[in-house]
Amino acid sequence: MDTVTQVAIADVKRRHRESGLRSIWYLLPAGVIVALVIGYPVLRAVMLSFFRFSPLGGSVTFVGMHNYVQVLTSRQFGAAALHSVIWTFGVVAFQFVFGLIGAVLLNQKFRGRGIVRGLVLIPWATPSVLAAMMWMWILDANYGVLNDLLTRLGLAFLARPWFSQPHTALPALMLIDVWQGIPFFAVMLLAAMQTIPDDLVEASKLDGATAWKTFWSVKFPIILPTCLITTLLRIVWTASYMDLILIITQGGPGYASLTIPADAYYTAYSDLNFGGATAMAVIQAIVLLGVVMVYLKLLSKQGILDK
Amino acid sequence: MFHFWKSFRRQTRVVISSLTVLMMILVTACGTSNSGSNTTATNQVQTVNYWYWLDDPSHNTIQDLIDQFNMTHPNIHVVGRLIPFNNYQQTLINAVSSGNAPDAARFKDWWVGQFAQNHLLTPLDSYTKQWQYTSDILPQYWDTGRTSSSSPIYMLPNEYITFYLYYRKDLFAKAHLTPPKTFDEFLSDAQKLTDPAKHQYGFAMRGGAGGQDQWYAFMLAGGARMVDSNGNIVVNNQKAVQVNQWYIDLFRKYHVAPPSSVTDSYAQLLADFENGTVAMMAHHIGSYALLQQKLGDNLGVVPMPQADPSNPATMGSMSGNVIMDSSQHKTAAWTFISWLSSPTAIDVLDRSTNAQLPVLQSVANEPFFQSNTGWKVAIEEEKYAHVWPPLPGVGAVSGHVWEQTMDQALLGQISSQQMLDQIAATLKSGQ
Amino acid sequence: MIIVGHVLRRSVLWILLFCWLAFALGPYLWMFLTSVKPASELSTIPVHYLPQHWTFAAYAELFHTTPFLKYMTHSIIVAVVTALATLVLAVPAGFSLSRHRFRPKKIVLSALVASQFLPSILLVLALFPIMQSLGLLNRMIGLVLVYTGFVTPFTIWLVKGFVDGIPKEMDEAALVDGCSELKVIWYVLLPVLTPGLVAAAAYIIIFSWNEFLFALTFASKDSVATLPVGLNTFIGDYVTRWDLLTAGGVVSAIPILIFFTLVQRRLISGLTSGAVKS
Repeated sequence: MDTVTQVAIADVKRRHRESGLRSIWYLLPAGVIVALVIGYPVLRAVMLSFFRFSPLGGSVTFVGMHNYVQVLTSRQFGAAALHSVIWTFGVVAFQFVFGLIGAVLLNQKFRGRGIVRGLVLIPWATPSVLAAMMWMWILDANYGVLNDLLTRLGLAFLARPWFSQPHTALPALMLIDVWQGIPFFAVMLLAAMQTIPDDLVEASKLDGATAWKTFWSVKFPIILPTCLITTLLRIVWTASYMDLILIITQGGPGYASLTIPADAYYTAYSDLNFGGATAMAVIQAIVLLGVVMVYLKLLSKQGILDK
Repeated sequence: MFHFWKSFRRQTRVVISSLTVLMMILVTACGTSNSGSNTTATNQVQTVNYWYWLDDPSHNTIQDLIDQFNMTHPNIHVVGRLIPFNNYQQTLINAVSSGNAPDAARFKDWWVGQFAQNHLLTPLDSYTKQWQYTSDILPQYWDTGRTSSSSPIYMLPNEYITFYLYYRKDLFAKAHLTPPKTFDEFLSDAQKLTDPAKHQYGFAMRGGAGGQDQWYAFMLAGGARMVDSNGNIVVNNQKAVQVNQWYIDLFRKYHVAPPSSVTDSYAQLLADFENGTVAMMAHHIGSYALLQQKLGDNLGVVPMPQADPSNPATMGSMSGNVIMDSSQHKTAAWTFISWLSSPTAIDVLDRSTNAQLPVLQSVANEPFFQSNTGWKVAIEEEKYAHVWPPLPGVGAVSGHVWEQTMDQALLGQISSQQMLDQIAATLKSGQ
Repeated sequence: MIIVGHVLRRSVLWILLFCWLAFALGPYLWMFLTSVKPASELSTIPVHYLPQHWTFAAYAELFHTTPFLKYMTHSIIVAVVTALATLVLAVPAGFSLSRHRFRPKKIVLSALVASQFLPSILLVLALFPIMQSLGLLNRMIGLVLVYTGFVTPFTIWLVKGFVDGIPKEMDEAALVDGCSELKVIWYVLLPVLTPGLVAAAAYIIIFSWNEFLFALTFASKDSVATLPVGLNTFIGDYVTRWDLLTAGGVVSAIPILIFFTLVQRRLISGLTSGAVKS
């Protein structure tokens, strides 16, 4: 390496160090829009959790921790929290596992790959109302395809009113969300797999590693950052996602499929207790923050944050 | 340092110019799509924003009426906005809360208490006093728009329903039964019509979304009341607990309703009844046209069966129109909503697929409405129909508390008493 | 032996693909069959799988008497513009978070995730006055702004992740040659980032395509309404038009299918492998 190049490289390194200030210009435009659209509303919602506030007006009174105490001692909140945990982690786990398998499949070379890649994406691009209405009929107790198929296969004892039984309502709803969410992971991970350098894979094969071993030792570490961030965001989104629940079971039967955001929705718009609703959401956000912290630790350990 | 500053300025320029380009893309792509609502309006023309939902989306009868009104009223321009019923209350609350309320809106009696308590609705008395059809609307209908017997009127009645009982004539004939008049007959008929092995049930019970109306109709017919004549909440008194238990037992003890009843909503009920999976369904005139078309002569209609036929009761529900207090065009809004409740509009509305009961007695007495069983039974029941009490807590009860507690009671997780105690507590807490 | 293994692998691949396609598209097939059945055949015991009388009346009604195609056009415009706007914002931000060194990086990254913590239903009330004061109610650009705000955080993370995967030597070499950073992003990184951008675009477009709450609250006028709002108008208080709803569902899947079948070609590997050496 000649001196000119060395000087040039030193210059580039210096520019990287100075990048602290410069990075503002890269982040500012995005930051402004995110702050405007989400930042202010989030701060306001957090503030409101310390007030008694009805969206229809009337006085706004500071009540301190009252909303939180009320939420934490309310009859259904414990159940809602438990359902939220089952819902969130259950759904994301299945979506991720099947999404990963799907990404591997879509990464193979086969005839008609383009159209297959398009077709499997469709559940993801289904508006919630449509997914909910469709699955409601598929799983309908009397006219549903699923129960009919089970009956025809001689498995009639398995047929049941899926949404009307406390222990099947939440799993049935989770099935719908898994259906919708698999393509999300498949596409994200498929994209990540494109960054795997071919020569590394070739080298591993030359070393005599099996496809299975090559996947876990060579490919997976490269897509791991994408795995982590997509599951993290998906956990956050799924925790707040309630459209299916509101349309199909309204959290029922009883509280059997009530999650925290669904509970917050009814508190806000039926009981007109916006303070209580935001308090519920903030409690959930605090728990999610814990999850994020653990995640960031993981990411740091992988060296992903400090690259 | 100089080098740094130069690069800093260069970065700034690039970022700003790229942002400008971005904004230009946005503006050219979307900017033209804004359609001004009253850009060409002269000073005399007042714009009235009106929100509504449709019972049957097959035909937008209300938009037809708006068009007709705009044609005949050159000084007023009504702009209608259709909002799906499931999201109606929520959207209205968001708009009101942000100062974007419409001038006038279709409204349910459930919400009058919540909105009136916060002074969001315009008292209509000064208008109704001078309206030519005021006396054509029964006094009990006017009461559905008040929050107490002495309060102003906040909602102009427009469409009314009373709960009655549909039955399948074919299934009743096959079982050699006559339609029930009393609770006892209802239960014994339902039992005879039930055969789970054949997917056959007596009664379509609605434990899911919107089932509170059906439940309340049975509570009233059983002799229970939500509020007594002094305004005390009595929905959890002994009588009410007993009637509620009877209703729960239809499902839990006698199994005359399908196993999915706990979460069944209107769509499931309708499918069950159309198929003959269930023989009886409590509903109202809103489904008459559709069922008539599908079932023809097999469709029977009788009044709600009663625990005590000498002292009958059923549920009525009013949807009407309100003028928001924030409206700048209240008089124009009144002109429009009063036109919607005039014979011209009611005649169109109630002969359409979005039909309910005509609130004007003169229209209800027209041969068309008297010659038809559905309307006849429903209009007869008007005499003893009760609406939901105008308490602010009714919004929460109909929004989720009823459904959650009813489900639990149907699943045996709580007792009839516990269920009604929770409902009573919700009604009280809203006061 | 190798050939047997190959055939075996192929069959496993196709069996798995078939299962997946069946699960993913089964509900759509059912939706299609529902859309071509007369109302009287919708709920029968036992279930009729194929319609006894095929009818395409719902599609005719959908195209001729409802503004469905208009809604679809609005959805396409909003989705595409949101995708462009978001990528313009997120690519530099993601690049900076990957390549630049600055202190509050972890805070910025956590804040981006934290921005997604609250259910959007609780943010609507606060967003309403903002939209109003900017004059963005009932305008597609308003929806674009809101959607851009909501999808930008994840897109930034995604872009950062993909830039992380590109060897630093690539852009450093270009910087040494005297290119500005933005030029490096445009000419050197973008071509290599393509798979990531395709994934990000799919996420953004599908988010905009499905979003209902903001669309209903801020832009439900006929002149701007998007698909989910349109689909919801087929659900009445008493009557649901299953035929229109399902026909609309089938039709609304088509643009997405075409879009992704076209762009998925960009999901190709090997873009980075040779770059380091040369």
